[in-house]
Amino acid sequence: MFLIEVEDLYQRYGSKEVLKGLTLSIEKGEVFALIGPTGAGKSTLLRLLDQLENPVSGKIHFAGKDVSNSPKLRLERRRKMAMVFQKPVVFNASVYDNIAYPLKIRGYKRKSIFKKVSKMLEMVALKGYQKRNARTLSGGETQRVALARAMVTEPEVLLLDEPTANLDPLSVNLIEEIILRFNYEQGTTIVMATHNMSQGQRLANRISVLMEGELIQVDRSSKIFNTPGDIKVAKFVGVENILKGMIISSEDGVVRINVNEQIIEGISHRQAAEEVYVCIRPEEITLSLLRPSISARNSFPGEISLVAFSGPLVKIKLRCPFPLVALITKKSAEEMELEAGKRVYVSFKATAIHIIGLK
Amino acid sequence: MGSKIKKVLSVGLILVLISTLMASSAKEAVAQGDVSTPKKVPLLPKMERLRVATTTSLYDTGLWSYLEPMFEQKYGVELDIVYAGTGIALQYGKRGDVDVLTIHDRVREDKFIREGYGVNRRCIAYNYFLIAGPESDPAGIKGMLPEDAFKRLMEEGKKNPEKAKFISRGDNSGTHAKEKAIWLKAGYEYESVQKSGSWYVEAGRGMGPTLLMASEMQTYTLTDKGTFLAYKGNLKLIPLVEKGKILLNVYAALAVNPEKHPKVNVKMANNLINFLISDEVQRLIGEYGVETYGMQLFTPCGGGKCKEIGCPTWEECAKPAEWPIK
Amino acid sequence: MSELWKAFLRAVELIVNLDPEVTGITWRSLHISATSTILASLICVPLGGMIHFRSFSGKRGLISIIQTFYSLPTVCVGLLVFVLFSRVGPLGRFGILFTPTVMVIGQMILITPILLGLTISALSGVDRTIKDSTLSLGATELQAIWAIIKEARFAVWAAVVMGFGRAVSEVGCAMMVGGNIRGFTRMLTTAISLETQKGELELALALGIILISLALVINVIVNTIQQRY
Repeated sequence: MFLIEVEDLYQRYGSKEVLKGLTLSIEKGEVFALIGPTGAGKSTLLRLLDQLENPVSGKIHFAGKDVSNSPKLRLERRRKMAMVFQKPVVFNASVYDNIAYPLKIRGYKRKSIFKKVSKMLEMVALKGYQKRNARTLSGGETQRVALARAMVTEPEVLLLDEPTANLDPLSVNLIEEIILRFNYEQGTTIVMATHNMSQGQRLANRISVLMEGELIQVDRSSKIFNTPGDIKVAKFVGVENILKGMIISSEDGVVRINVNEQIIEGISHRQAAEEVYVCIRPEEITLSLLRPSISARNSFPGEISLVAFSGPLVKIKLRCPFPLVALITKKSAEEMELEAGKRVYVSFKATAIHIIGLK
Repeated sequence: MGSKIKKVLSVGLILVLISTLMASSAKEAVAQGDVSTPKKVPLLPKMERLRVATTTSLYDTGLWSYLEPMFEQKYGVELDIVYAGTGIALQYGKRGDVDVLTIHDRVREDKFIREGYGVNRRCIAYNYFLIAGPESDPAGIKGMLPEDAFKRLMEEGKKNPEKAKFISRGDNSGTHAKEKAIWLKAGYEYESVQKSGSWYVEAGRGMGPTLLMASEMQTYTLTDKGTFLAYKGNLKLIPLVEKGKILLNVYAALAVNPEKHPKVNVKMANNLINFLISDEVQRLIGEYGVETYGMQLFTPCGGGKCKEIGCPTWEECAKPAEWPIK
Repeated sequence: MSELWKAFLRAVELIVNLDPEVTGITWRSLHISATSTILASLICVPLGGMIHFRSFSGKRGLISIIQTFYSLPTVCVGLLVFVLFSRVGPLGRFGILFTPTVMVIGQMILITPILLGLTISALSGVDRTIKDSTLSLGATELQAIWAIIKEARFAVWAAVVMGFGRAVSEVGCAMMVGGNIRGFTRMLTTAISLETQKGELELALALGIILISLALVINVIVNTIQQRY
């Protein structure tokens, strides 16, 4: 059942078009992520959903109803939603007063406010913080107060605009847990904007990719990750190897592609003579010092141009002669004594290749 | 502080302020004398008010402060005395913002009455203007007739603008009007006087303040005798020109015409006028200042004195003011 | 220097002896200025909130005009109010010229630009996200405006205090519309003006010292209340 339906939404700021004909639907109770680079229009979409702005054209339906014409209905609708912004912003008042605010303006009585606020404080792990001035808290704590404040009225929809963007990893974890709990325990529909691909993967049921105001792809998170439908999406979700080539032959779902005079085999139903992009995730590339056995169909010799350590993993840049980026564990890199200039064998499975047609 | 308590307190505060504001529209009656000799009279509830615009010389001499409480007690009203030059006083009268005028410019008073703005003019008192100046008298005008003195001042002033200055009221007051009249008699258009040089200073202030300024700057000025005497202790000036018919200064009271401004308190206005021309008050005016300054500040019109100044009989002037005039 | 010292002593003497005329005019100054400040604030703070909150064409122009009127000369306001409330003027039938009531009105007009302008300034200093937050939490426009005012409360309070300062220290308007009538519309500032003109400089200085002391006491009280809040 679609709780929110967005139909052909356009939004403009001055002369700049920020959303171009956006259409999507969000199911009740799901965690829906909006992914895209900064400036893609995610915040704008959230603000439009929250009725903070009016679109230049297009409609938004909530539970089947279009509320844009009546201010009274708009207020009603807005009161069933809540939004947490990227910059943690709280009132210059106590934590208690912050969280109690939405209840106060709706006219709740003192006793019931006390109960609800106490419950919220526990849920966001801020028990005992009631009297502290909210402005004296750390970034993570502030954002949790903002979350508690948003959720205290038990809204149907929770909108989050890059809620963990500037926080430390521990706070990020904590907040992600809280968000999932809300979704699980109260069935709140969650629409979350983030530019962090892995966060989207962790939390969301479905992901939509927005770029330059347009909706590029909407899918279950696993699919977007592994089979991006578009070059731009591919680049964004971390497919670092995107090679241009021409399909030479196509037989039984297996294609042979000419990339820089090398032949790469992949799985696709595309036809010969089609120009395509070949996408390979860096994690799918294996390196070996000796020529590998037959299981990997695509195998090439290559030369290492750069070795970059990145936490527990190592990024290796190679020339095969087409450029490739591989991601392997530090242990393997040390065992093989990889360094710039070394020659190695590069291999990847045909199933690891994702082929995107040229638009 | 609970927010409810705060709200109640603030509303309460506002109500208190507004209500006391209205209550204080009832004037605190203050006894005679200036700030340094106060006498508190009990606060009276909201009373009838009468507004008087008075020329500055009557105020600066303290005459009004002397007469005010007497009138207030006798009639049970609050007297609001607005300090104004004759020019602005006439404006107030025209606009109906005051009930009574006490001023001293016969020509403009007649015009005021002719145009239907004023009624029931009665002479109250008179004195004489004089030209005061520094003891050194750099322009040498001592003992001259006013018109000649002005001629001399103009000549000396133009020659020595630093030594022989003249300060004019410059505010369309009765005194200012008299000054202009003297210039005319001396043969000068007032406009040319204003432009004649830096020796001629236009102060734009009341009589008392102008005298102080003249004393400070050691210049000449035209003043009425009453104010001059009242301020003499503070002044380093002496009277230089005191004789001349043109120097006659007659103070009159008139009521604003209720036909033009029906809301005017004409009954009480007439009471005030009659108060001022009553035998008793005329006597008090004549005695005012004698003890302190050694001579009268004002000569009352009553008691046959008006013949000296060329007025018809006092009996006519002493006719009580009333409305409507029968 | 000795003149100033004498004036200071005179001021102390007048205060200690609770000289009735001086207490009268001091109370009147305080009363009229406090009333006008409170009434003007009740209008201007919410109005400033609304102007700040909404966007409309000509908003910047309006703010410019408001700021221009910061420098409105007090005599001009006095003249305007005089002409309005004079018996021959459009509001003459109320007959409130030369009364404390019209002085309150005059002062309200005088300090409205400052109160409006500084309130809007104060609110502009509040993070824009507060506005979005309150709205997204379900506040009506009025509730959101109130929340923003509360966030900016110190700056808004400063604006009110500024307004009071201008009201209690002005002469031109009070003189013109009040008439400086003794025992009725005479305030500290108009009394100082009169005594100066009369040459009573020591007394004028003493009254001046009392005026400043009054302002000081008010500020201390106001600040203490503010701290507790």
